[in-house]
Amino acid sequence: MNEVKITVDGATHAVPEGITVVQAMWHIGREMMHDVGCLGGACGACAISVRFPGRFDNQCYLACQTPVEHGMTIAFMPSDASKKEIAPLPRTEPAEQVLFQYYPETRRCVGCRSCSMVCPVGIDVMGGVRAAIAGLHQDVADRFTNCVMCGLCAAVCGAGIRPHRVGAYTRRLTGAFYEKEATQLLERINEIASGEYQDEWNTLLSSELSDAREEVLNECT
Amino acid sequence: MNVLEISKLKVGETRSSRLDETPPKLSQAEKDALVQQYHPDYIKEAYGTIRVGMNKGEQTVHRVVSLLEGESPLASESIRLEAKQQVDVLIIGGGGAGSMAALAAKASGASVLMTTKLRLGDSNTVMAEGGMQVAVSPEDSPVRHFLDSLRGGQMANDKILLKTLVEEGPSVVKWLIDNGVMFDREEDGNLSLRPGGGSSKARLVRCKDYTGLELMRVLKDCVLNEQIEVLEYMPVLELLTDEAGGCSGAILKNLDTNQHFVVQAKTVIIATGGIGRLHIQGFPTSNHYGATGDGLPLSYRAGAKLTLQDTFQYHPTGAVFPEAMAGILVTEAIRSVGAHLLNVNGDRFIGEMETRDAVASAIIRECAEGRGVETPSGRKGVWLDMPLVDTLNGAGTLEDRFPNMVKQFSRYEIDITKEPVLIYPTLHYQNGGVEVDVDGESGVNNLFVAGEASGGLHGRNRLMGNSLLDIMVYGKRAGEAAAKRATSTEYKSITLQHLDRFHEAQKEAGVIPDTVSPILFPDYVNKS
Ligand SMILES: Cc1cc2nc3c(=O)[nH]c(=O)nc-3n(C[C@H](O)[C@H](O)[C@H](O)COP(=O)(O)OP(=O)(O)OC[C@H]3O[C@@H](n4cnc5c(N)ncnc54)[C@H](O)[C@@H]3O)c2cc1C
Ligand code: SF4
Ligand code: SF4
Ligand code: FES
Repeated sequence: MNEVKITVDGATHAVPEGITVVQAMWHIGREMMHDVGCLGGACGACAISVRFPGRFDNQCYLACQTPVEHGMTIAFMPSDASKKEIAPLPRTEPAEQVLFQYYPETRRCVGCRSCSMVCPVGIDVMGGVRAAIAGLHQDVADRFTNCVMCGLCAAVCGAGIRPHRVGAYTRRLTGAFYEKEATQLLERINEIASGEYQDEWNTLLSSELSDAREEVLNECT
Repeated sequence: MNVLEISKLKVGETRSSRLDETPPKLSQAEKDALVQQYHPDYIKEAYGTIRVGMNKGEQTVHRVVSLLEGESPLASESIRLEAKQQVDVLIIGGGGAGSMAALAAKASGASVLMTTKLRLGDSNTVMAEGGMQVAVSPEDSPVRHFLDSLRGGQMANDKILLKTLVEEGPSVVKWLIDNGVMFDREEDGNLSLRPGGGSSKARLVRCKDYTGLELMRVLKDCVLNEQIEVLEYMPVLELLTDEAGGCSGAILKNLDTNQHFVVQAKTVIIATGGIGRLHIQGFPTSNHYGATGDGLPLSYRAGAKLTLQDTFQYHPTGAVFPEAMAGILVTEAIRSVGAHLLNVNGDRFIGEMETRDAVASAIIRECAEGRGVETPSGRKGVWLDMPLVDTLNGAGTLEDRFPNMVKQFSRYEIDITKEPVLIYPTLHYQNGGVEVDVDGESGVNNLFVAGEASGGLHGRNRLMGNSLLDIMVYGKRAGEAAAKRATSTEYKSITLQHLDRFHEAQKEAGVIPDTVSPILFPDYVNKS
């Protein structure tokens, strides 16, 4: 197995090629607790900042999803320190800009793009913040679909904006108020409440199902 | 060219000619035979007999036997049983079931404390991709959903639990929508539905391939909005019981300070999720870092009974290449829109939409009989041919519906819109668990269990998409029932009498524990 060299907290280690950064941490003998969660790229616990010698780019990734590369210098990023406001959904469809009641600083975006640069899942975060300022809910909602709430965008924003929280709140508003009614769902709920399936259940549950095994199995295919 | 590359070329060559083929549907007898010969649940040597506790004399895999018979982490420590906090409902586990239970308990007027091993939301729930089953289309019905699940579960499902699940499913989906979950919709506003393995009708609701992320993000937001107190990095090491044997609290450990924290609670809800990180029978897993089955030994030592503890779900399609992705799930939804499974010769060998136990068994058969493909690191697998999805549904479908999957493989320079990937079954789900009634209460008074940690509902094989529905419906039910109980009872004494009884039973049965359980985390750290 080929090896690559990676640097973590100032120390350089040789690790096998083809493993993830998280697996590399285990390989070099580190216990992992604060910096891992799902191991599947969905929880945002494992964000890292990565640099390469001789290059100026500074990228953030999810360590559980990132293969080790020769020469990489890695720092694990701290957890999200941005405050989540107590922001319940309104009871009825809100006036356009309810978001700013909870996250008024959103309007202060200076367009530096730092948030987009840092996002480990590649969201155009600034675009999302801009869309929020413009009141384009659906657009904001779509952009933050895959946000893992790592909080890095908020950590780097000099204007104190919390883009992921803006995204999450806007998504909830969109889901609750800006979609057309799911009529089939509502009808089904009514049918169940009015006992429409009661006869079927009675026959099904009264017969000894294990005796009627083949019958049941055939019925549903 | 090596065998892998030659085989990959064959897959490309046979692609267009396979389009109109439909593999014959297995009869029940054929399916039974296939599963009994190849499914890991039927490998006799992997199983042992439980020697103490409520399931004494029954079987499960060796790893779980040793957890159940394990030593409490408190056995070697002396702890002052003095409550640091008192609460109506203590919720253990911060995934989907735990969050739903916390919200329901709070809404029912109880005081709630949630404690979890990692952070709120670090769980199996957050990773769910494919979707959630709910019978809403006019061609479908709760009864049909019930029958499909029963067939999938090999008729071993608890029928009352299952009926309640399918009947309450639609209301719980409504609740989620009202709370802002963005399910995929049709033009007319109706929920977009996809077919799932083993289901006779399309009934999977989803949020692209981020269903669990979306659900967890919203639930987490709700929990924080409700200002429910959440303790993170504070796993439970042992439950507490009263004089009468009911559950009365738990002992937590602060992973940062190593201090213990004693909670006295009127009711306790275990929502600790699954067992993937036990790597049963050496399988890789799709599960999160904390999926070490902690709820099983905790409730077992307190006197609860388990059910169907011998059956596990091996998801047919876990990645085996590249090595870094081993165990990572390729969602079943990808097969429901047309991806094919192929052996080394580029031939199909099973209907892709058979139930998971059958598909997994067929893949294991192909590999066992020499028709698998070996990866550079020595794993075996078969091909999952995804470019077909775009051929069948229009270019861009994969990118549009499975953006996460496309991205995950692209990091390793594999373009799933153009080439097949290698997969093998991965340890995915604990079918059984703690036996509960329809309110989620276990055999131990005041101890409730919800979600993957509980058992019965899914029989011997959970249908795709039924677990997300399970955690929502039963998280809610357990939360409500626990709150109701708590608000009408007093605090009970907190003791470790159940441990004394358990030790007695161990001695009697001549059991010398070989593990401390719960184990909390898998041991991956290189010690040399
Ligand atoms: C990759 C993947 C994809 C899936 N896709 C689907 C799908 O498409 N549809 C579907 O229906 N199902 C799917 N499932 C299954 C489903 O997601 C899970 O079964 C379900 O979410 C389990 O929810 P839960 O709340 O019971 O457990 P989890 O969500 O796993 O939560 C358990 C929580 O308990 C905590 N915990 C564990 N031990 C302790 C302890 N000792 N003390 C305190 N806290 C503890 C954990 O850290 C975690 O926060 C999928 C599962 C995986 C892994
Ligand atoms: S948008 Fe912000 S919180 Fe979300 S993933 Fe990107 S950096 Fe993390
Ligand atoms: S970092 Fe802050 S100020 Fe800069 S673009 Fe992003 S939101 Fe705007
Ligand atoms: S551990 Fe959850 S995203 Fe990496």
